[in-house]
This record gives sequence, C-alpha cells and structure tokens, in this order.
Amino acid sequence: MSRLVTKLPPLTLSNPIMSASGTFGHGLEMGAIVPPERLGALVSKTVTLEPRPGNPMPRVWETEAGFLNSIGLENRGLEAYMEDVLPTVAAAARAGTAIVTNIGGHTPQEFVQLAQALGERPEIAALEVNLSCPNVQGGKLPFATDPAAARDILAALANVTDKPLWAKLSPNVARIDEMALAVEEGGAAAITACNTLLGMAVDWRTRRPRLALVRGGYSGLGVRPVALRCAYDCARAVSIPVIGCGGISSAEHVLEFIVAGCTAVQVGSASFSDPGLLGRLAAEVEDLLEREDCPDLAELCGSLTEGAPCA
Amino acid sequence: MPATDTRPRAARVVAIRPCEDASGAASDEGGFILRLRPEGDPAWIASLEPGRFFMVRRQDGASPAIPRPFSLYRVAGDCLEFMVQSLGAGTQALAACREDTPLLLTGPAGSGWPEFSVGSEPWVFLAGGIGSAPFLMALERALPPHAAASPRAPGPWLIYGAASAARLYERRAFADTGAPVLCATDDGSHGFHGNVLELLALEQEAGRIPARVRLAACGPQPMLRAVAALAEKEQLPCWLSLETYMGCGVGICNGCAVPTRPGGALGDWPWAKCCVDGPVFDSTAIVV
Ligand SMILES: Cc1cc2nc3c(=O)[nH]c(=O)nc-3n(C[C@H](O)[C@H](O)[C@H](O)COP(=O)(O)OP(=O)(O)OC[C@H]3O[C@@H](n4cnc5c(N)ncnc54)[C@H](O)[C@@H]3O)c2cc1C
Ligand SMILES: Cc1cc2nc3c(=O)[nH]c(=O)nc-3n(C[C@H](O)[C@H](O)[C@H](O)COP(=O)(O)O)c2cc1C
Ligand code: FES
Repeated sequence: MSRLVTKLPPLTLSNPIMSASGTFGHGLEMGAIVPPERLGALVSKTVTLEPRPGNPMPRVWETEAGFLNSIGLENRGLEAYMEDVLPTVAAAARAGTAIVTNIGGHTPQEFVQLAQALGERPEIAALEVNLSCPNVQGGKLPFATDPAAARDILAALANVTDKPLWAKLSPNVARIDEMALAVEEGGAAAITACNTLLGMAVDWRTRRPRLALVRGGYSGLGVRPVALRCAYDCARAVSIPVIGCGGISSAEHVLEFIVAGCTAVQVGSASFSDPGLLGRLAAEVEDLLEREDCPDLAELCGSLTEGAPCA
Repeated sequence: MPATDTRPRAARVVAIRPCEDASGAASDEGGFILRLRPEGDPAWIASLEPGRFFMVRRQDGASPAIPRPFSLYRVAGDCLEFMVQSLGAGTQALAACREDTPLLLTGPAGSGWPEFSVGSEPWVFLAGGIGSAPFLMALERALPPHAAASPRAPGPWLIYGAASAARLYERRAFADTGAPVLCATDDGSHGFHGNVLELLALEQEAGRIPARVRLAACGPQPMLRAVAALAEKEQLPCWLSLETYMGCGVGICNGCAVPTRPGGALGDWPWAKCCVDGPVFDSTAIVV
C-alpha cells in the first residue's frame, strides 16, 4: 500500500484511514470484524479526567440523511483508560497502527492533566484534543468557538507533552479558518475537521424531542458537504495537515476530502451502517487510485483547481 | 465488545409473507415473516442460540442507513427467519422487500437466553406482541428431549399476550413446538381477556403452573417493568430481553444504554450496553 503512505509529521501512517472518536469504541472492540492493522490510526473515544456517566436515553436518532447523538462523553475516565484500555491497544500499535487518544475537558487544567498523564505512555502516537464536543455543558461550546481560548489550550498542552497534538474543531462557528489559525499558532501538529453539527429532531405528535437532552450532534451522509467545506477552509488557512471528518462512507468520499486539501480522513457514523467498512476502505481507496491511474495520495492532496466546474 | 462470532454478511431475501393471526389466517396488522439466506458458508447457522439478534438493512438504497435490530425467530436450513412488526421507515422498508432483495446482516449479536437446562425450576416465557419472536427457538430448546421422557420438571410454558387476535402472530407455530401456549388479548378477541401477568397469576392459583418458576420475558417496556417487579416481589429468577434504540448493534456507539442497578451484577458502571451486554439481562442487574 505504498501509495497510501500518509505523512502526519512526526508520524508516518500506513494509510490515511482512521476511526473517528466515539464511533469505534476504543478501537479494538471491533477486532474480529475490522482487523486493526487495516487502519492508519485508531482514535479512541474521548477520555476525560474523571469518569463520566453520559447522558440519559434516548441518545441516538436517525434522520433522513444523518444521525443525531447525545452520548455525553460516557467514559470511565483517565485512570481506567490507562489501566484497562492502553495495555490492550499496545498490540495494535505494534502491528503498525497509530494509537491516538482523544481527550476532553471542561477547563484548561483538565486538558493539561490529561496530556501530562497520557504523554508518558509510549503506546500513544498522538493526542487528539476534542475542543468541540457539543453534548456537554448544555450545548455550550466552550473552547470550540473562541480562537484565543483554543490557542491557549493548545499552547498549554504543547508545554507539557511532546506528543503531536491534533486539534479537533467544531463546524458550529462562523469562521472555522480563524479557529484553524489559532490552534496552529498554539502548536497543533494537525487539525481534525470536524466534529458534529448541532441539531435536533422532534416528534410533533407526542410533542417530545427524539433525544432526551433535545439537542445532539448531527453526523453522517448529510453533513459531508459542510464537513468538506470546513476541511477545505482549514487546509487553505494553515500549513499543518488537515484530517477530514464528516459523512465519509466510501473511497470516493475519501478522495474528495484529499483533493480538497486533507492529508487523512476519519470515518464515524458510516461504521454504524456498515460495521465492516473500515476494514475495507484503505484497499478500496488503493483500488480506486489504481483504476483511475491516479498518482500517490500526497500528490492528490489539495489538488482542487478552482474555476468553472468541468463539463 | 461485540461477541466474537458477530460478523457483517451479505444476504438475500428468500421469501416474505404476512404473519398468521391467532386463527391461522394472514394477519393484516403489519406483522411479517422475512426469510433470508446469508451468503457464504452456512456452517455457522446450525449453532445459533435463541435470544440473539441481528442488525438488518436493505442494501439497495431503500432502507435508512442505520440497520435495525431483530431477534432471530427461526432457523430453516441455511436460512434465517425474522418476525417483524412494521412501524417506521426501517421496518417498512423491510416489509417492502421482494424475493432476492439484497440485505446487510450483522450478527449474531448480543447474548442469548440463559442455558435452559441448568437448574430445576420450570420456565415460564412471557411474550408481549412482537416480543414473542425470540421465544420460538427458546421453546424448542427448553423442551425436554422427546426421546427421553424423563420425570424432569414440566414446562416451559409460553404465555403469549397481544392487543388482539390479529396480533397473536404465528400462534400456531408456537403451539406446534408441543409446549403449552396460553394466550391473552387486551380486547378479549382470543384467549384470556387481560394481560400475561394476570393470566400467569390465574394459572398459578389454579395449580396448573407451579408457584416457583423461572421467568423469561420480552415485550413492551411497561410489561417488562411489571414482570421485573413480580420477580422481585416473589424472588423468582428472571431474565428480560430488552428493545432499546440501537445505533450500531456492535458496542461502538454507546447509544443503547440500559441503566444498571447499583450493587447488581453490572453495578460497577451506571449503564450497560443492550447490544453487547444484553439484550437478555438478569432482571436483578438492571433498572427497567
Ligand atoms: C435486541 C432487539 C430485538 C428486536 N427484535 C425485534 C423483532 O424480532 N421483531 C420486531 O418487529 N422488532 C424487534 N425489535 C424492535 C425493532 O428493532 C424496532 O421496531 C425497529 O428498530 C423500528 O425501526 P423503524 O425504522 O421501523 O421505526 P422508527 O422510525 O425507528 O420508529 C417508529 C416508531 O416506533 C418507535 N420505536 C422504534 N424503535 C423502538 C424501540 N426499540 N422501542 C420502542 N419504540 C420504538 C419510535 O418511537 C417511533 O414512534 C427489536 C429491538 C431490539 C433492540
Ligand atoms: C455516537 C457518536 C459519538 C461520538 N463521540 C465523540 C467523542 O467522544 N469525541 C469526539 O471528539 N467526537 C465524537 N463524535 C464525533 C465523530 O468523531 C465525528 O467527528 C462526527 O461524527 C462526524 O463524522 P461522521 O459523519 O463520519 O460520523 C461522535 C459521533 C457519534 C456519531
Ligand atoms: S447499539 Fe451501539 S453500542 Fe449498543
């Protein structure tokens, strides 16, 4: 798969396909269905300092073109992650798949404590900083909408760990390029664009919301144009690599994001529709490149030519 | 973590027909039997356990993107059958399948019913509406082998409740297993006029079902709640098969959370995952 080799300095991945945080457990759960070595990187669910029970049910609802969730970052906290999860993912790491731990916090101090503890662990290749989970703090997006706050968090983290930091941005902002610039300035090694859009669904007959907490994160096929635009805006604004995420479910979609400027991609909700997808996707991308007589991914990256669409 | 034998597989519809009503005629209440054949080597099918489920979706673009969970109803050679109630977009898309419609089938998922042969108290299965689906194979499994007419405990009984005779789907198939099937309807159109717990109480009072039994139940949440309350009051062992919303069916979305009982078998965390820790739970481990 040499034409899929993906550089996210200082890391080199075997291919550009990753699981998106919160949509693949901690990564190894799916081992019998998706051999972890087929992925360039496994991204964990968001790990928080303390255990978080998450939100009440119902937490998921499917709409015509996408998927709403309000999981509320349910996870057993940092200590359990380090004791129970990391030792098991080490095997995957040895098989050549990068382990990326996604972290989330309410305060800059929480982020720093997480990075200090996880920074010590050799299994982890990078930390993805979830600036944008919309399901906590009553739908407020604390660090995701304020460029200065986001920059300061990245800078504080860069101060305490040598691990590459990937800043995961929210699409729920007017100018995502400003957020991208801010996290680059703070010291991010890459940007993940993007997290879910805020959305909701109701049952008008019963006058009830479909999700217990009313609002949720919207993902899946319907968000792809928005995510693609976010990734494009980020890629044009910064010089660090951008990892596209949102609505990707096929090799065609992967290459759309690559051409728009992404170096790699993450796949989330599509694993719910088709749990085996992540095990096939890298090979499908390679086949597609081969069939279309395309150059390496690195050459396709950002090759979008502006101007009138071709006939 | 999904069960080690859970796999996504392509499958094709072999046949689809309306469910029978209590009298054996075709019901017009939206229940149907979907028979499908998974592609590939069928060796795994023979060892399927009752109570497990599959995520099912049409692959021709006519289904919602997210597959829907259905209990395994019956195994027929190299085919699987599901008994489905048409409700919303996902089940309506399945109802509109034709012979050969391509499907994606992920499973067998979750835990099944407990091992029926262990323990001595007889089993009573309580089914509410479409919640009867996981009991056909359970009855076959829990019945004493015909060859050895041993003096083992009687049972299992199936107490099958539904809104009306038209919704007592496939009653004859359940009766054909040889197990006693006692029916109850909300409108009195077939069998006992009332619910399954009232019927159980009546049978126990009359001495036809012993007081000490083990319960297994599947049906609407209010029914499961009442069954769990009875089991707690009478200190009866009880297993419930729950139907939560599911995003993935394989343990990766956290969308199917079931509250656990503090101090219970799953009490080290406030939630269990219905899709991998269940759908069958010991009633003392969860809050229904
Ligand atoms: C382990 C398991 C096994 C199941 N086995 C069977 C089976 O054998 N046969 C069968 O017919 N169904 C079964 N179900 C239920 C079935 O999965 C749902 O009816 C189906 O997902 C509904 O999808 P839909 O798109 O048709 O409806 P939707 O559009 O999702 O919903 C239609 C309406 O039904 C309600 N609804 C949907 N799902 C549920 C639910 N799980 N609980 C309560 N209300 C709901 C919604 O609120 C809505 O009003 C099972 C569920 C689980 C979790
Ligand atoms: C059920 C669910 C849970 C998620 N949990 C997290 C999470 O814990 N942390 C995070 O950064 N993103 C989380 N996300 C967002 C995804 O990682 C991804 O950014 C988003 O779903 C868009 O990608 P998709 O359209 O491919 O799903 C979650 C998404 C879903 C659907
Ligand atoms: S349905 Fe996704 S974790 Fe259970």
